[in-house]
Amino acid sequence: MAQNMTLLWGSGSAPCWRVMIALEEKNLQGYNHKLLSFDKMEHKSQEVLDINPRGQLPSFKHGDNIVNDSYAACFYLESQFKSQGNRLIPDSPAEQALMYQRMFEGLAFYEKLNAVIYYKWFVPEDERHDSALKRNKEALVTELKLWEGYLKKLGSGSYLAGKTFSLADVTVFPTVAYLFRFGLSAERYPVLGEYYALLKDRPSIKASWPPHWLENTKGQDTLKDI
Amino acid sequence: MAKSMSLLWGAGSPPCWRVMITLEEKKLQGYRHKLLSFEKGEHKSQEVLEINPRGQLPAFKHGDIILNESVAACLYLENQFKSQGVKLIPDSPAEQALMYQRMMEGLCLTDKLNSVIYYDLFVPEEERHESALKRNKEALVTELKLWEGYLHKVEHEQHTHTHAHQCFFYLISAIKVAAGSYLAGAFSLADVIVFPNTAYAFRFGLSAGRYPKLAKYYSLLKDRPSIKASRPPQWLASPQGHEILRDL
Repeated sequence: MAQNMTLLWGSGSAPCWRVMIALEEKNLQGYNHKLLSFDKMEHKSQEVLDINPRGQLPSFKHGDNIVNDSYAACFYLESQFKSQGNRLIPDSPAEQALMYQRMFEGLAFYEKLNAVIYYKWFVPEDERHDSALKRNKEALVTELKLWEGYLKKLGSGSYLAGKTFSLADVTVFPTVAYLFRFGLSAERYPVLGEYYALLKDRPSIKASWPPHWLENTKGQDTLKDI
Repeated sequence: MAKSMSLLWGAGSPPCWRVMITLEEKKLQGYRHKLLSFEKGEHKSQEVLEINPRGQLPAFKHGDIILNESVAACLYLENQFKSQGVKLIPDSPAEQALMYQRMMEGLCLTDKLNSVIYYDLFVPEEERHESALKRNKEALVTELKLWEGYLHKVEHEQHTHTHAHQCFFYLISAIKVAAGSYLAGAFSLADVIVFPNTAYAFRFGLSAGRYPKLAKYYSLLKDRPSIKASRPPQWLASPQGHEILRDL
């Protein structure tokens, strides 16, 4: 099964990480994979464009089925391999709804993070404004407080949709890991800090941890003061 | 079932429209709903904030369950009401993969449309740049061309029937949607998510001549019962929209 799967990925890309966590959770280790370099613009290579006309990573194939969007790949894998590995979509309507809700809020969360840490990557020099970056930081703080609240409400040791690990954690944990990699203060965001500590050693997450983060354990401090 | 559902919505909002199409497709008409005004800031009212701390629409409840993200609500409804109404997630692995992929790409299309249509709303005056808006328009054109490619098979078949009644012949021409006209096989959640964006694009002046496949997709789906039933009321009231996308 895993042998007719191929993943083109980049180290530290949260969307790539989501798919890799899902593959591990569904016991699909053994999939073919190739690490590409964003810095060398390998995500715009013909090899990627042949699978993904958007020239983005992840690019994922299962046989002839191409699923490049990370959420789409997660939904597809859970649906196709429901009965193997861990169940990633809860049956109970309440938990299921909460899982879907947090997953899609996770897209806003990821965007607001990128709007701060990648501000200069996205915005050409002559279009940058301190006021814009300030606003992006404020939006991220508002977002962080929302997620602190969500986790606090569920209680210590909870996953995003309740008692069990689900696709909400698969898709959102990488964003949380990124926050701490970029210097977020666990003192100021203790509930997120606890969630990060809860999941960082989960086998699927440990197995797919960005290799360059292992090589260089010191991250950045962009988010130190927010 | 539908009676324990309530939807706070705003007219013309693609996310709200997606949820309403899904409710129709799953035969959940009869849900309670309240139309709110974005112009009057009603999406930031206490009524909304109690359900959705983000102060956004749609705000959807099913009993005590809350779903404010449109795609989340659609996925939940399809999963909870799988056996009633129209099946919105295909079974075949190939179609399912394509459906999830196009569904999520639909959110890209939404972003790129919004970055042009709502540029002035999102960006304070002193931070606006012609170069930024130009770049957003170019990104939108690239995106629209992708979708023209995805819809390359869209077309309709025309069937003509004659029916004799007393001394009169009636010619009934039925326009049937041909296979390949939807985003992933049969009508699915991919269409539920993407169609409102398509409608929006044409509402804001997108040229049907330059984007013929999207135009055909739009005209094929606009009279689908679930879509007709949930069409934004002010679009019926004033058929003429805006022209921001006219030159793309």
